[in-house]
Amino acid sequence: MQPSPGSDIMNEIWLVILPLAGVTFVIRMTGALMGQRLPQGGAWARALKALPGSLIVALVSVSLLAGGPHEWAAGAAAALVALITRNLPLTMAVGIGSIWLLRSFF
Amino acid sequence: MPSVSSNRREFTCGLREILPLSLGAGIYGLAFGLLAAQAQMDGLEVGVMGTIVFAGASQIVAVERIVAGAAGAVAVVAGIALNLRLLLITASIRDVFAGRPLWQIALGAHLTTDENWALMVSARARGQRAGYWYLVGAGINLLVVWVVATVVGVYFAGTIPEPRALGMDFAFTAAFIAIARSLWTGKHDLAPWMTSFATVALLVLPGFVDTSWALIAGGVAGATVAGVRHHE
Repeated sequence: MQPSPGSDIMNEIWLVILPLAGVTFVIRMTGALMGQRLPQGGAWARALKALPGSLIVALVSVSLLAGGPHEWAAGAAAALVALITRNLPLTMAVGIGSIWLLRSFF
Repeated sequence: MPSVSSNRREFTCGLREILPLSLGAGIYGLAFGLLAAQAQMDGLEVGVMGTIVFAGASQIVAVERIVAGAAGAVAVVAGIALNLRLLLITASIRDVFAGRPLWQIALGAHLTTDENWALMVSARARGQRAGYWYLVGAGINLLVVWVVATVVGVYFAGTIPEPRALGMDFAFTAAFIAIARSLWTGKHDLAPWMTSFATVALLVLPGFVDTSWALIAGGVAGATVAGVRHHE
């Protein structure tokens, strides 16, 4: 092995990959194991049941708020298709197609 | 307990139904490969990273920091902050892991991403039988597509356009809009969902808070409203 700047970067990469992988796994496992220990009824159960919807709304909000009028219009088009068809691939296709058209022509 | 053949059916359902989403992940994978090449990562490093981290946005953020010349620890912390939401995600599907041996919990938890988790809860909301093996089937599809695309991207991404130029940066937003639609069960969802949106807006718009924290705050705020409210 010849010492070079390249090999420093290579070592640094593993010092990023391994801790990120380890901590991410611990995060995922903590949720899976902690979820089981939380109460199966009452407020905790209602909150956990509502969590997926709230998180997905948060995900969509973050990405629409980061965008501008193009993203809002494409989001509205996708929402309309989702309301009418409830079809995932079609909603994705309309969303991608609308944003592409809006950015190309407006 | 469900039979082996119904487990297999769920597995193949997940494997198949995630395809539109894994296509989106594949486009991002190619772009990530190009970024990784700029960080002087080789195919092996990219492949191992995709397999053992398996959280695309955090990989992109971490490697972006490296390319920008940040210290390794800064890259790791940025990636971890983005992944904290996964704790809420795996907790929200606790029934999927209930009563399973530790290795199955570990495998399922590692394979849980925004995409297959959202697809699974959406399939369930529509009355489909979708549990542990559905999640795992969809997760394996995503993992294979992600790893192959990121490794291919290291060598070839220079020749394909950026996701944004194809409108593909909007693929997941559109997908989550469709999934939100199928999760809507009635007026009692309105308060939690508006709370989630308002929380995210209040935190993100003034620019005080990083989006990874706004996302968590929005999800928790919405769930809290649903939790403290008594059923009508």
